[in-house]
Amino acid sequence: MNPFVTDEQSRKYAEFRDFADREVAPFAAGWDREQEIPGGAISRLAQAGYLGGNVPREYGGQGWDAVTFGLLNEALGRADSAYTGVVTVQAMITAPLIKWGSAEQRKRWLPPLAEGSMIGAFALTEPGAGSDLQGLTVEFRANGPDGSMILNGEKKWITSGQRADVFLVFGRLNDKPLACLVPRESEGFEIAPIKDLMGFRAAGLARLRFRDVVIPAANVVGKPGFAISHVAPVGLQYGRISTAWSALGLLRGCFEESTDYAVSRKASGQRLSDLGMIQSLIARMGTDLEAAALLCWAACQAEDKHLPETFTKTFIAKYFTSRAAVRAAGDAVQIRGAAGCHESSPVARYYRGSKIMEIIEGTTQVHEMVLGKSFAHDALRRQRSRKPSPLTQPRDVAAAAG
Amino acid sequence: MDTTNLNETKIIIRTFINSSVNIEGLDDDENLFESGLINSLFAVQLTTFIERKFGIEVGLDDLHIDNLKSVNATAAFVARKSAAPAAASGSQQVASA
Repeated sequence: MNPFVTDEQSRKYAEFRDFADREVAPFAAGWDREQEIPGGAISRLAQAGYLGGNVPREYGGQGWDAVTFGLLNEALGRADSAYTGVVTVQAMITAPLIKWGSAEQRKRWLPPLAEGSMIGAFALTEPGAGSDLQGLTVEFRANGPDGSMILNGEKKWITSGQRADVFLVFGRLNDKPLACLVPRESEGFEIAPIKDLMGFRAAGLARLRFRDVVIPAANVVGKPGFAISHVAPVGLQYGRISTAWSALGLLRGCFEESTDYAVSRKASGQRLSDLGMIQSLIARMGTDLEAAALLCWAACQAEDKHLPETFTKTFIAKYFTSRAAVRAAGDAVQIRGAAGCHESSPVARYYRGSKIMEIIEGTTQVHEMVLGKSFAHDALRRQRSRKPSPLTQPRDVAAAAG
Repeated sequence: MDTTNLNETKIIIRTFINSSVNIEGLDDDENLFESGLINSLFAVQLTTFIERKFGIEVGLDDLHIDNLKSVNATAAFVARKSAAPAAASGSQQVASA
């Protein structure tokens, strides 16, 4: 456990782990096979209060700090990343409402989302625009003096889309980015399940089609022109936090499975854990786990202190942890051998699910682009302000010797 | 906010913007969002920075491009938001007198 986590946060983590061990882990393989999480399992998540972790208490949420929210995602992610996806996108719709929703919107939408009687989804990605947020084609058109709009277009790969009651949909109104709440039952709104993903199979992904859907003015979140610059980033920040910690949970699951197996299994009379080649794998996995945990914690510490650095730190956490999860899952299968390639072993599902972590909420490549530019900019700034460094300037030894 | 404080506010904001984006010789009236020099995170980073640094909250009613588009615009916005609670408490005192 991260030594910097408070006693209260540790206590909550123990509660989250207990919930995941009872309500999620025994069923995850079956949900993955059926490509569906039963409604009862989502209800238990809601009854535990876990769909309103980041929502303030005044709206019926838990009012948790970001670290506690992260710890929930880690505990659930260790059991099933698809189940964690419900928590991820619930936060991705509540966070923008908390920050940029009107008083009426917060009062109307946050309580049912916080208690879980309403499930949310974040509808940003389109068939032709995944990483390229400027390439959105979903269109809102003015509909009359009452401020209502007509919505047309398609979204794809929308987590929880199969089960969500309300969607935060991003598009353009006369070239201005716009975000609106669209209820599931809206006329002209069609939802088609997406099946047969390699991992994350029970996450309920869907393709959305909007055909002349009428959107009341009251459903606009934020203001026209600010959806990509201000509304989406708030949701994506929580999406990245959740995904980073979910990947951390997957990584921890791989590590625990691998080390348990390595100390139990023998080959040629020796425990696998006594073999150097296995020690290398678990050393790398364990070190990655420690590093990932600290990066995730640091990102949420910055979020809780409301530091502008939180966004970069969250990028770092998600980037590192998702890639470490892919490495760990591959090594976990390798350590298990043939058994790791069979669905009877959780590491097989970890392996398939880990790759999804590198793609959702920003691909690895998008993260490299953002972080690479950020670090290069920092270097330019250092150069401008730098005095000559003793590391790069030759020393006049004779002069120094007097 | 008096002139000295406004200038100090501008320096603080300019320093933050310089640390976030690679713009040399930034003009205080340069429209950052039209310059193409900022990334998709800049807007939320700037919002978070001024909220924490100046103890104000940027809310829905403040979402106007004119409020955060340049150093001068942001400093003026911070000055207005910082003065607002003081103005409100002043009118409350007058009302209760």
